[in-house]
Amino acid sequence: MKAIPESLREALALRADTNLVPYAGGTDLMVRGSSNAEYLFLGRVPELRRITADGETVRIGAAVTFTEALESDAVPALLKEAVSRIAAPAIRNAGTFGGNLSNGSTKADSAVALLAADARVRLQSLRGERILAIDEFCLAKGKRDLGEDELVTEILLPAGGLENYSFEKVGGRKALAISRVSFAGVFCADEGRITKAAAAFGAVSDSFLRFRELEARLIGKTIEEARELKPAYLKAYAEKLELKDGRVSAEYRRTVCLNLLKAFLEKFGV
Amino acid sequence: MNTISRSVVKKDHEPKIRGESVFVNDYTAAGDARPILTGKLLHASVARAKVLSVELPELPEGYCYVDARDVPGSNHVLMITWNDLPVFCDETVEYIGEAIGMVVGPDDQEVSRILGEIKVNYEPLDPVLDLREATEAVRERDFGYGDPEKAFAEADSVIEEEFETGYQEHAYLEPQGFMAEPEEDGKMFVHGSCQCAYSVQDAVVSVLGCKYRDVHVLQDVTGGGFGGKEAFPSLLASQVAVAAQKMKAPVRCVYDRKEDLAYSFKRHPSLCRYKMALKDGKVTAVDCDIRLNAGAYCTLSGLVLDRAAATAAGVYSFPNLHVHAAALKTNTVPNDAYRGFGGPQVIFAMERLMDHAAKTLGADEVAFRRQYLVKQGDRTVTEGRHHFPVPLPEMIDMLDAACGYWEKHAAYAKPQNGRFRRGIGMALARHGDGLTGTTERDLGFSIRLRKHPDGRVEVLAANAEIGQGTRTTFPKIVAHELGIPLEKVSYQHPDTGRVENSGPTSASRSLMIVGELLRRAAIRLREQWADGEEQEVRESYTEPDFVISFDLDKFRGDAFPTDSWSACAVEAEVDSFTGNTEILSAVGVFDVGTPVDENIVIGQMEGGFLQGLGYASMEQMAYDGTGRIRNNSFSDYLIPTAADVPKLKTLLHVEEYPDGPYGAKGAGEMPLVGAAAAYAAAVEQALGTDKHRLNRLPITVEDVMKELYREEESDGHDSI
Repeated sequence: MKAIPESLREALALRADTNLVPYAGGTDLMVRGSSNAEYLFLGRVPELRRITADGETVRIGAAVTFTEALESDAVPALLKEAVSRIAAPAIRNAGTFGGNLSNGSTKADSAVALLAADARVRLQSLRGERILAIDEFCLAKGKRDLGEDELVTEILLPAGGLENYSFEKVGGRKALAISRVSFAGVFCADEGRITKAAAAFGAVSDSFLRFRELEARLIGKTIEEARELKPAYLKAYAEKLELKDGRVSAEYRRTVCLNLLKAFLEKFGV
Repeated sequence: MNTISRSVVKKDHEPKIRGESVFVNDYTAAGDARPILTGKLLHASVARAKVLSVELPELPEGYCYVDARDVPGSNHVLMITWNDLPVFCDETVEYIGEAIGMVVGPDDQEVSRILGEIKVNYEPLDPVLDLREATEAVRERDFGYGDPEKAFAEADSVIEEEFETGYQEHAYLEPQGFMAEPEEDGKMFVHGSCQCAYSVQDAVVSVLGCKYRDVHVLQDVTGGGFGGKEAFPSLLASQVAVAAQKMKAPVRCVYDRKEDLAYSFKRHPSLCRYKMALKDGKVTAVDCDIRLNAGAYCTLSGLVLDRAAATAAGVYSFPNLHVHAAALKTNTVPNDAYRGFGGPQVIFAMERLMDHAAKTLGADEVAFRRQYLVKQGDRTVTEGRHHFPVPLPEMIDMLDAACGYWEKHAAYAKPQNGRFRRGIGMALARHGDGLTGTTERDLGFSIRLRKHPDGRVEVLAANAEIGQGTRTTFPKIVAHELGIPLEKVSYQHPDTGRVENSGPTSASRSLMIVGELLRRAAIRLREQWADGEEQEVRESYTEPDFVISFDLDKFRGDAFPTDSWSACAVEAEVDSFTGNTEILSAVGVFDVGTPVDENIVIGQMEGGFLQGLGYASMEQMAYDGTGRIRNNSFSDYLIPTAADVPKLKTLLHVEEYPDGPYGAKGAGEMPLVGAAAAYAAAVEQALGTDKHRLNRLPITVEDVMKELYREEESDGHDSI
């Protein structure tokens, strides 16, 4: 069976009534090549294909492709930088945000940027909607907080406050590479005091990592105070970063994560 | 530029671009033809064991299990002179992936199901997995000249280093595949993706225990080879031929990518220990100990070892030399031919040793090299002669002019403390052209030209088009000599039933050796051309008069009639926070003689150079403690993309070879051979101090980080 809904309502109804696998780009499912699966194609649902922005929030539809995001004036530079490092142009022409977040990988390049940006995921079903933080939705490898009748419909990003950022991807080559370590950081200061120092790590563990309790140590501090706190701050991260061996060793990942965190702080004077 | 060098549209360009080419997996049984049965191999899952029994599920009608008991002739695959590799395993299996048997039937999903239900009972035996612990040599060479022992005894100092290189997988676009079809006249028609149709015929004839006239082999359109389709197809073709004989029906086996990555032959991992004696600031002797991991069966390891041994001292001449080389058995997938054929491993060792000797002496790496470069008239490693001019000094100057080598090298030698650090490195390499020793002469390869009454001319030779342009360059030579349009000369994929045996598609020999036979034949045809008649001209190889005949046992004489040469430079930037290395530019100057088609040769140079950079930087494959290769997908075995070396420049220096067509020499392998050493030198310079020794390939991000942190720790820095 194949289902090609033309409206969100129709899509949600199909999602509620069937066991179809939702997809839009299919770049990941294509590789898995399951011959028995049946699919719900979301690429023609207009509500999922829009990028809109008001003064507070940028909304990116779940079926918006990475190429479309790169071409949009509304999408913040941090997210564009992360997305520009995904795969290669042909895959970016098809791949979508909804798929990148939902397929269960902890190496998704868009997710680590969205996590640092305090983005949220909008989930809808015929029953209603839920709005979750990225790390509330992406629970662990292969595990997402998504009901069997729910669809990811939108990514919600704050419209401001993402101007000072870092994004880094360490892959095995410059294109078509799965991340071995990814990092995103967002920094804000107001009247000389730090208001945000978000640091998110991807591809290093069974889940995306962000330690808000450690970030809180810098909030409200001046740059000078933060500099003094930095050695203890980095040490605390070193203890928190319990990483996994994979394509590269856990030890290597830890070293790189700390180097990138340090570089991020230094970039903004800390 | 010689007019022959002017580029033309390749003869296979249109059908390949349009998707009309028929690869072995594309054949379908048309109309009422017999269906093509699918064969899938039962691969051993342990590295070394006695096979006690194979428990089969009940086989549906039309399905069959084939193994060694079904082999009518020899159960060993003939590869040139070696034949230790079984068609299907004997009593034991010797590596993970070795074929135990094949399930054959009409529906491939059903074949897979049956395969999954087979249970193999093993009695495990202790495998040898570590090259350092391997002792059984499948081939060994020991030779040299002068008195190296005395030189080492009298040396002021000795530099000794160990060099290690890893696997390289060919990663051809089309995986291995072959098909066998019993014909109505009782012959067996075997065809598939391969480089050497006649080698496949040798193997199949021996395995079926039949006459040569009973088997003919066609090379289908082949999606890349790089050496990987030199010997391996003889195995796969033998397996499908046995199955087709048993089933009395066409049988095809095409590897899937996972199978291909894990179980097809690869480049030999190596372990080289090189020693250099220095006296009064000069090199007085070099000692090369070369070990190649042959894998579980010899296959072509003996030949690869010979080329490695004959290339041991790289592009240099030293007063005293000793070479010991061994190909050693381990219980891992057999290693075999791969572009460069033993050259990249020893060039890496020699070039790195030269860099490090220069560093030790406080000398400039390139100036130090220049003192020892071989010249025309010098003896070779095997005490033959370099009969022709060696253009390396001019090529080094060309390289500098193209990339500003000295300026960059001086700039990057200054202390660098930022996150991103740059380096540039150079490597010089040679590749002996044609088959090693007297093989060309002994096997007496030949070609024929057939002129049809309408004036069309056909080339009848056995060399395979594998992307290197043979189907274009062979006709180009003939058309050039005959003075007729290129469209009038054709070269079809070889079928041993109708073409001459012009030898294997290997050793960068096709254009230089076979191309010259075609040129001579075309001249003769021109002289006797008679309009409206069918005419044939045959030409066989004769060894040029200047060659000092090679004695294989003493390993002495001209291993090759001439050499191709390369000088390449790589400029790299290391990210000291992540260990990642970016190649800023790569420039190669290659002497492969006269290009018979400039576009084709530049394509070869760029592709080979990039493949060598992949070998150096990212192509990592290893087996685990049980002997299993785990990274068997293209997400885990990474090869470079166009984005990885955006500034890749190749230049040609032409030193004409009088016995090659229009001065052409071997081209296919040369660009790969020196790339890794240049890359390593660049990364090493970027790391900063003289203490670093990057002597292992590939150079991983983790290797780079370890080197960086080793330095910081020894300097007393905090290592967060």
